[in-house]
Amino acid sequence: MSTETEGEGGSVGATGLTDSDAVLMIASAVALFSLPWVLVDGFGIVAEMLDFSIGGYVGLPSLILIYGIVVIGYNLLLGYTGLLSFGHAAFFGTGAYVAGVVSQSVGSPIVMVLAGIAVATLIAWPIGWVSIRRTGVYFAVITLTFGQMLYFWALGPGSWLTNGDNGFSEVGTGPILGTFELDSAVFPNIGFLQSYTYEYVFIAILALLALWIANRILKSPYGLIFEALGQNQQRVSFVGLNVQRYKLMAFIISAVFAGAGGALFIMHENYVHPNTAYYWIQSGDFVIMTILGGAGSLVGPVFGAFIFEYVANVLSGLSLPVIGAIGSLWRIVLGAVFVVIVWTFPKGVYPGVRDFLVRRGARDALDRLSDRVRNRGGESE
Amino acid sequence: MSLLQTTDLVKQFGGLTAVDGVSVGIDRGTVQAIIGPNGAGKTTFINCVSGLLDPTSGTVEFDGEDITGMPPHETVQQGISKSFQTASIFPTMTVEENVQIAAFGAEHGSFRFNFLKKRSDYNAVQDRTERMLRSVELWEDRNVQAQSLPYGDKRRLEIAIALASEPELLFMDEPTAGMSPDETRQTVDLIEELREELGLTIVLVEHDMEVIFRVADKITVLHRGAIIANAAPEQIRGDEQVQEAYLGGAEI
Repeated sequence: MSTETEGEGGSVGATGLTDSDAVLMIASAVALFSLPWVLVDGFGIVAEMLDFSIGGYVGLPSLILIYGIVVIGYNLLLGYTGLLSFGHAAFFGTGAYVAGVVSQSVGSPIVMVLAGIAVATLIAWPIGWVSIRRTGVYFAVITLTFGQMLYFWALGPGSWLTNGDNGFSEVGTGPILGTFELDSAVFPNIGFLQSYTYEYVFIAILALLALWIANRILKSPYGLIFEALGQNQQRVSFVGLNVQRYKLMAFIISAVFAGAGGALFIMHENYVHPNTAYYWIQSGDFVIMTILGGAGSLVGPVFGAFIFEYVANVLSGLSLPVIGAIGSLWRIVLGAVFVVIVWTFPKGVYPGVRDFLVRRGARDALDRLSDRVRNRGGESE
Repeated sequence: MSLLQTTDLVKQFGGLTAVDGVSVGIDRGTVQAIIGPNGAGKTTFINCVSGLLDPTSGTVEFDGEDITGMPPHETVQQGISKSFQTASIFPTMTVEENVQIAAFGAEHGSFRFNFLKKRSDYNAVQDRTERMLRSVELWEDRNVQAQSLPYGDKRRLEIAIALASEPELLFMDEPTAGMSPDETRQTVDLIEELREELGLTIVLVEHDMEVIFRVADKITVLHRGAIIANAAPEQIRGDEQVQEAYLGGAEI
């Protein structure tokens, strides 16, 4: 209890600093702009020095941001409203399949994303309406069941649309606004900016938009009510607010983000299989990313997505002395990372590091102050 | 006409009748106390009126309108508010945010699908929040996390939350339970202020007889779910049946 209060007290200074929307957006834009260089080139240089392949590859920053968008929205539901959904793959996968199907007639990435969002939102309405009537474990299980229903639908009866177990590969993504090919580099002549593709730029802009929207939602009355719902539902209904309505809103909003992420996912991979679209493990991954990065902080989950995808795609390629190639054992590595992080930063990486820095900053300030007081004391004597 | 009128209100849990045919009218602008031994059905009665429980039979009318079986958020919108037996607050949010939520509750229509408008742009809500916090003298503590307030302040914060929805009728479930004599005195003053300044109608469930005889205009005595007396404090004091049932024959 006391450490909790201490942490919250510590974060007051940090929120004071990042309170301005402009600061948040600029910092995020800078971070997103440097991500490909840091991950691909920066890590690559370190990797060469260490003779250890820890550098990212060109598509990885995009993949991280795709999941980042999903978990920014998912966090509004889990981190603020306190609803643990184990079925968000339902909206992610729907976004992916709908965007894929749409791309066969209209290849515009913008249209694909909008279509994915629209249908994901549409199915989130009834699924949410049923699920939020139960709380806790029951809510988790109901959402899990809906996700699995769609999974088996995509494998069996829905295969006329999803191509079932063979996976959906006929994706006809066109250029953005009819001109910018997704795969081509934005600056083909500048060597160290090779990892900046139009796809990355497109996704990074959407990720910024996602952050902006999530931030505004959190600062609107909705944000306050979501947080309140996470703490004391009965009191929320006794101030005259319809609890079910606001829970449903949180659910649908999170599905919008998941739908957008799904549409970007199929654009990025040019392929989607029921296992990557709808399977319950995909839903579980969203939960892990969110908790890893910091449920209940706006940008935290994006860090979770980064760590998760880095372990899944880069560390899995490492070869260790005794056990050999990590390969498909990467989930064991992820599990170890998860345990360590939850142990050291129970609130997640981002809030943990932030509180640590703030506390250290505060301690430094206190030290300086006490030094000054001591010096003054010395003078007067 | 009474502000609140229940008619033959019954609530059964399986074979147990917790509220047994309660018909009571509460007049506008009065403070009415409900007393009775443990298990008399006081809290169940309040829950049936405020919508937390559906009554088995009978009706509840508020301001001439039938509100039987309405869910809590609707009864609050009708003008019934409640402070809970244990301070029901939002522990890790600030004192100001706690009251803000309630102030938004009263304005629930103004942001139906407006996801992007900032809270600080709702001036009426900010004003109301400040007014409520000042009236319970917590404005200075507005940036404190609610869970770190002392217990008495938590209860007062809860009263501010209940008031922010601008009710006509306020239920208070044991408002002085667990308070020090000082805090109790402050709370009693607050109740009297609320009635005089805001013209609130207050229904009080309380065990502290001193508090009741100081503030109540009328006392309803429940015993095994039924009303055994409903009269002014002086009459209750001398009522033999009440003394028998509730006070075990002792003089008050």
